[in-house]
Amino acid sequence: MEVQEFMTSKVEYIDGDASVYDAIERMVDKRIRSLVVKPSKREKMPGVVTARDVVFRVLAKHLDPGSVRVAEIASRPLYCMAKGTSVLDAASIMEEKGVARVFVCEGEQILGVFSLIDAMQSSLILRARK
Amino acid sequence: MFKELLSFGKKEQKALDHMTRHVQLLCSACEAFREALEKRDFRLMETVGDLEREGDIVRREIIGNIYEGAFLPYLRPNLLKFVETVDEVFDLLKAASRYYRDLVLEGEILYECTRIAVLNLRMAEMLYITFQAMLKGEALKDKTLAIRIYEKKVDDMKVYISKVLRGIRVQDFWEGKALSDFISNLVGISDEIEDASDCLDIINVSMK
Repeated sequence: MEVQEFMTSKVEYIDGDASVYDAIERMVDKRIRSLVVKPSKREKMPGVVTARDVVFRVLAKHLDPGSVRVAEIASRPLYCMAKGTSVLDAASIMEEKGVARVFVCEGEQILGVFSLIDAMQSSLILRARK
Repeated sequence: MFKELLSFGKKEQKALDHMTRHVQLLCSACEAFREALEKRDFRLMETVGDLEREGDIVRREIIGNIYEGAFLPYLRPNLLKFVETVDEVFDLLKAASRYYRDLVLEGEILYECTRIAVLNLRMAEMLYITFQAMLKGEALKDKTLAIRIYEKKVDDMKVYISKVLRGIRVQDFWEGKALSDFISNLVGISDEIEDASDCLDIINVSMK
């Protein structure tokens, strides 16, 4: 089973210069746990900011989310994989890199995101297919 | 146990063979739909209608077998409900294939629709696996859970597609209606397959 079958194609983006407050608002509003941080003049590489980054790197440190830039807390690089990667290989990469989500890419374009819950769901389906 | 209870007569075996054929045809129709959508092949899309008609013939055979006295009476309603639900999936596929002829799908909406078509195919295949497992008297828990997971996935995509749809410009009312009807038929398939798997679960439980 390939990751493209189980990925979520709803990927939301945010500017690196936006505040963490904006990121929180977006994540709560869209009911998602991560945003792709667009590259900017200062940070050339795209990154990802997750609910975990927001809580651990800003809220838990009693910083003001309104005055911290998203780019400052974003994780880089984005871990990308081809759409034909098997879900088990994707799970291995997530374990190896210690990340909760990997991005499914085609060239420069992000097609979707494959997360821990997607890995668990696809494992149940693989089991049922046996 | 299930096999013993179901396969004690020729009538039952005949009906079960037809039911197996019915679900296999459904898998073929879902596969044809997916491939036609992916390759933008209108001729292949027409075969969905042909498979639906073939499915209809098989459905009538099954109903005939059951009314001729196949199976214990208390099993018949749920077996019939299963067959009718599978038939409903055929109808949705056929309707979607007809609306597709009037549409030019491209970009994000085509991509999302193709993904849903793949998930529909996987669900149909899983329904076949579930049906076979039921005939062997195996537990269906893993299988029906897999179908529910697929359905939830399609459900999430449904919400996203409805947002994408709002950004699409249409020429006139009829193009908008065809697009809307195409999508609602396409995303409705997963609900019906889930209902069919629930029927199998009920039949399985009622045998214990």
